[in-house]
Amino acid sequence: MDAIGPDRDQLLLRLMSAATQRAKVLSENIANQSVPGYVRRDVRFEELVSARLARGGEGLDAVRPQVVEDRATPAGPDGNNVHLESEVAAMRENLLAYQLYAQMLDGRHSLVQIAIQEGR
Amino acid sequence: MNPLQKLFSSMRTSSAGMAAERVRMDVIARNIANAQVTRTEDGGPYRREVVTFAAIVDKHARGGASSMPVARVSQDMKTPFELLHKPDHPDADSAGMVRMPNVNPTQEMADLIASTRAYEANMNAQDNFVRMAERALRMAQ
Repeated sequence: MDAIGPDRDQLLLRLMSAATQRAKVLSENIANQSVPGYVRRDVRFEELVSARLARGGEGLDAVRPQVVEDRATPAGPDGNNVHLESEVAAMRENLLAYQLYAQMLDGRHSLVQIAIQEGR
Repeated sequence: MNPLQKLFSSMRTSSAGMAAERVRMDVIARNIANAQVTRTEDGGPYRREVVTFAAIVDKHARGGASSMPVARVSQDMKTPFELLHKPDHPDADSAGMVRMPNVNPTQEMADLIASTRAYEANMNAQDNFVRMAERALRMAQ
């Protein structure tokens, strides 16, 4: 994988897409906070990607974001395990991650821009 | 579904959450407004309404099942009417007792606060997408 090749662009775009999907899942958690028996869900992607990268990045293209039901978080008396504060925190964290990926992608594009203009 | 459409579908989920909470707020307002009504069209005092939330699950949505909340309104048949001794009241029975609505205003106010918070959280979630979409748009500049 080279420094400004399309591979990393592709990875950043996929990270942004996963963050978009997570935003939807988290907003569903918030919307369903009053539904008895609702089990909160989350999206796993970053940890799957970093596990692959740690092993040399083999098969990185095959990694897809996974929507997982979170049964580890304890539920209240109505069986609903959405805790508003942690959902809002997760949502903010996700927004920052999304902005970070976008910023990195922007930075890479301006590098390419400089290369095209021969450093002028 | 492209990423931008995904963004908008999250906004619809938040809207469904807000709509469900607003039904709850409407019901609470109705309960408080009718807390002293001893004579309704059906006869008898006003019966408190309760909101129950259920999730409608769309199993065929891209990226796994997605669920939207809906509010259902029903009557509270469990809480008994309050009996008050008011012999001069037109709706008093022969023993001078009046049946009052089964509304507890303190309970309603507590529910109203919970509902308002939930509504705001949905609003924040929607605001969050707007910021994500705006950031994506800035990349095109």
